Amino acid sequence: MTNLRKTLKVGVSGVRGIVGESLTPLLVSSFASSFGRYVGGGRVVIGRDTRPSGEMLEHAVVAGLLAVGCQPVILGIAPTPTVQLMVEEISANGGIAITASHNPVEWNALKFIGPKGMFLDSHEADELLDIYNQQDLNYAEEQDYRDVRQMPDAFEIHQKKIFKHIDVRAIRARKFKVAVDCCNGVGALFTRPFLEAMGCEVVTIFDRPDGVFERIPEPVAENLSALEEFAKTAGADIGFAHDPDGDRLAVVDNLGRAIGEQYTLVLAADHVLSENPGIVAANIQTTRALEDVAASYGCEVVYTKVGEIYVVEKMVELDAEIGGEGNSGGVIWRRIHPGRDSYVAMALILEMLAVSGQPLDAIVRSLPRYCNRTKKFQCPAFAAREIVRHFCRKYADQNPILLDGLRIRMNKSWILIRPSNTEPVLRLTAESTDEKEVSALLEQFSREISELQQQFTR
Amino acid sequence: MRSLKLGVAGMRGVIGSGLAPARIIDFASAFGTFLNGGSVIVARDTRISSDMVSHAVFSALLSCGCQVYDAGITSAPQLHFMVPHLKADGALLLGAGHQGAGWNAIIPLAANGAYFNSIQIQEMLDIYHSHRYQAMNWDKIGKVHSIPLDAGDQYLDALCSKVDVEAIRRAKFTVVADFCNGTGSVIAEKFASRLGIKMIAINNLLSGILPHEPEPRPRSGFQVQSIMAPLKADCGLVFNTDMSRLAVVTDTGETLSEEYTFPLIADYVLSKNPGCHTVVTNLCSTRTLDDIVAKYGCELEKTRVGQANMIDKMAETGAIMAGEGSGSVSVKGWVNGFDGFMAAAMLLESMAVRKMTVSGLAAALPRYFIVKKVINCPSSHAYAVIRSLKKHFADAKINEDDGLRFDWQDGWISLRAAATEPVIRMIAEYKNREMAVDRALYVRGLIERLVAS
Repeated sequence: MTNLRKTLKVGVSGVRGIVGESLTPLLVSSFASSFGRYVGGGRVVIGRDTRPSGEMLEHAVVAGLLAVGCQPVILGIAPTPTVQLMVEEISANGGIAITASHNPVEWNALKFIGPKGMFLDSHEADELLDIYNQQDLNYAEEQDYRDVRQMPDAFEIHQKKIFKHIDVRAIRARKFKVAVDCCNGVGALFTRPFLEAMGCEVVTIFDRPDGVFERIPEPVAENLSALEEFAKTAGADIGFAHDPDGDRLAVVDNLGRAIGEQYTLVLAADHVLSENPGIVAANIQTTRALEDVAASYGCEVVYTKVGEIYVVEKMVELDAEIGGEGNSGGVIWRRIHPGRDSYVAMALILEMLAVSGQPLDAIVRSLPRYCNRTKKFQCPAFAAREIVRHFCRKYADQNPILLDGLRIRMNKSWILIRPSNTEPVLRLTAESTDEKEVSALLEQFSREISELQQQFTR
Repeated sequence: MRSLKLGVAGMRGVIGSGLAPARIIDFASAFGTFLNGGSVIVARDTRISSDMVSHAVFSALLSCGCQVYDAGITSAPQLHFMVPHLKADGALLLGAGHQGAGWNAIIPLAANGAYFNSIQIQEMLDIYHSHRYQAMNWDKIGKVHSIPLDAGDQYLDALCSKVDVEAIRRAKFTVVADFCNGTGSVIAEKFASRLGIKMIAINNLLSGILPHEPEPRPRSGFQVQSIMAPLKADCGLVFNTDMSRLAVVTDTGETLSEEYTFPLIADYVLSKNPGCHTVVTNLCSTRTLDDIVAKYGCELEKTRVGQANMIDKMAETGAIMAGEGSGSVSVKGWVNGFDGFMAAAMLLESMAVRKMTVSGLAAALPRYFIVKKVINCPSSHAYAVIRSLKKHFADAKINEDDGLRFDWQDGWISLRAAATEPVIRMIAEYKNREMAVDRALYVRGLIERLVAS
C-alpha cells in the first residue's frame, strides 16, 4: 500500500494504476458504472490486452456496467483499435479498452471510448470524472438489467474492413516474408492470421499471448534488437514490432535494421498521399520528414497536441486524409476508423512495398533522413510549466508552435520542450538532418533547462 | 426501499438501492482475505442480477489471489456437496433463495460445504468492516477455471447411493414438480430418470423470472395442486429457487403447510433408524415435530432460526437430522446443508417402502393450525418492539433465544426479526384454528400500533 500517490493516474488518457496497489476491483467497477451512466446506458464494448490482470479487471468492468443497466459486449482479448472500431460497427454507446498500452506489466488501465469510436477528449473526461465524484450514483433495479453479449470474432470484422480498402491481391502476389515481434501482446493472437490472409510467410518472436513481456513494451528502436537479429537471420522482407495492445507499430527493414518509430507514419503517409493527396494531421512530436513527404505531394501537415484524441479531432475537423503520432509509431487512417491502428499501418506499408516493387531499404533511403533524440528531466509539474513559459518568452521572436510545450523551428532542425501528461517529467526532443547538430542542440538546451530547474525548484 | 442485511445468511439486499457492485466487491474481498487465497467455487441462481453479482465476485476473489471455479447456475445442495468433494477451500453461493424478485444475496460456505458458522462469519465481517483487503500483484492474482462437466452426475451418483433407489423405481411414481424457474431445473430430468419416476416439471425454465412467490407455501403450490388430479400424480413437489426448501402436495390435491415437510421425513427416518437420536430444529417450528420425535423416544434440540445454526448444532450434537418449518431438511451422512432433492427422494422412498400414499402419510401426522404473518418493521427497531410485548403476555412461558417465543398449554407464538429482510416474522400455532387466527390477529394489531408510534 506504499506510494499510492504515485501509482494512480486519472486523466484524459483514462484511469491508470498498478494492480494490487491502486487499481482495485472496487475502483474499476465504480469507474465502469460512472462510464455506463455517462454514455446513457445501452451497449458498451469491452476488450482487453493480454496482461495477466486483464481477466480480473474485465469482470469488475462487466459488473459495474451491468449494475447501471448497460449491455456489456465482451470481445475478450482484442487489439485496442478493434474495440474502437466495434463501437462504431455495432452502434454501441461506448467502449472500454482494458490496457496499459506500453507501460510495464504491473500496470493496467481503463481507456474510455465514446460513441463515435474515439477516445474521450479532455472535456468529456472531465464530465465522466464529475459523475464518478458524485457519491449518489443511481444503480439500476433488477427489472432494468440487460444481459451480457460475447463477441469473440470481432477482429475478423476489423480485418474485413481493412481488406476492403487495401489491394490484398497485389500483396498476395508478392508472397512477402514477414518477421513479427508480438511483444507477448494481442499481436500473438491476431497478427499471424492477418498477415497470412495477405499471402505472407510469417515468422514470429515473443508470441505467447500471456502479457508477460520479454522486452520493454514500447516499440522504439532501442527495444527491438531481438527483432532486428531475428528478421535478418530469417531473411525477412520486413519486420513489424507491436506494443501490447496493437495500436502502435515499428518497422524493421529487409537488412534487419529498425528504421525508427517516426518512420512508420512517414511510410504510411507517403503511400496514402501518393494515391489520395490531402491534409495530414500529426502531433507536435512528429518528425519533419512527414512535412517533407507531404510537401512532395503538395500537401500540408497540421500539428496538434500530443495524444491520439487531439490528432483525431483535428482530422475530423479538417477532413484530413491521414494522420498519426510520429513519436509513438501511431498511424490513423480515417477510412478504417478514427484511431491509431497497427493493423492498418501494416496493411498500408505492405501495399506500398507491393506497388513500388522496391525493397524496403531502398524506399527508406529515398525518404528525407532526420536524426531524432529525446532526453528526460525529472521535474515537478509546476517547475516544468515555469520552464516552458521561460522559453516561450525567450524565443517569442522565432515563431514557436505553442500547442503543447513549445516547438522551435530552425533551419534544418527543430526542438520541442514539453511537460509529460503522465509523469513528473520534462521532455526535450531535438531533430535535425545532421546528427552532430542534434547533439549540439540537446547539449545547449539541457544546460539551460538544468539551470532553470535549479532556479524554480529551489 | 433501501435494504442491505449482513449476518449468518451472508450479505443480502435489493439490487440497486441496497446491493450495489461496491458492496459485493467488498464482501467477496473480505471472504477472499479471510481465506487468504485458496480455491473457491462460485455457484449462482437464475436471477437476472446474479450475472452481475458473479462478475463482481470473480473480480474481487481474483484480486485476493483466489483460484475461482465457476460452477455457473448450480443449486445450493449441489454446492454443499461439491465443496468438500472437489476439495475446495470455500465457496460463495449467489442467489436470494426464497426471497422475492429484486433481491439477491451472497452466502459464504466453508471447506466442509456448510454455511459459515457464527464465529466464521464474525471474523469475516470484522475484515469487511475494516475495508482493508488482500490485493495481489499482477503475478499472484488468480484465474477463473471451469468445474468438471459431470459435476451434476457426481452429485446424483452420491445421492442415489444414500436412498433406496430400487424401491422408488418399483413404485413407478408420477410426480409433479415446480422448480420456481430456479437452479433445480438444471438437473431435474436427470434426477427423475435416476429415480425412475415420471416427472412432470413446471416452471423449469432458467429464465430468472419468478413465476410466483418463491417461498414454498400452500399459496405458492396452487399451480401444482391444480394439475395433480388430471395427471393422476402420486405426489407434488414445490421447491424454492435454490433447492433448499420443499413443500409437498398430496395425491388428493392438498398443499401441505411447509411445516409438515420435515415431520413427514423425520417420521420415516426415525422409524428406519431405531435408537435414541438427536433431532435439531429451530425455536419456531411446528409442535407436530415435537410429537413425532417423542413418539420414537428421541431428543429434540431447538436452536435459533437459520441454516447456519441448524447445521452447526447438528455437527455439535451428532444429530441424525435437522430441519426447519420453512420446508428444509438435512440428514446425517449427506451434505452439510439443506437439500430439496434429498428431501424429495426421502419422501418418495418413504411412500415406496411403507406402501402408502402421501395423503395417507400426512393423515398420520398430528396436526396443528399454524398462522404465519410478516409485519413490516425497520430492522433497527424490531427487537425493541418485540421485547415490549413481554408485558402483554405475563401468563406465558417465555424463551428469548431467538426473538421471543410465548408458550401456553394450547399453543405458542413466536416473534422475531427476520435475518434477511426488515420485517418481523410472526408464527402462531394452536390446536384449534379459530384460536390461532384470533391470537395472530391480536398480536399483529399490537405490533402495528407499536411500529406506527
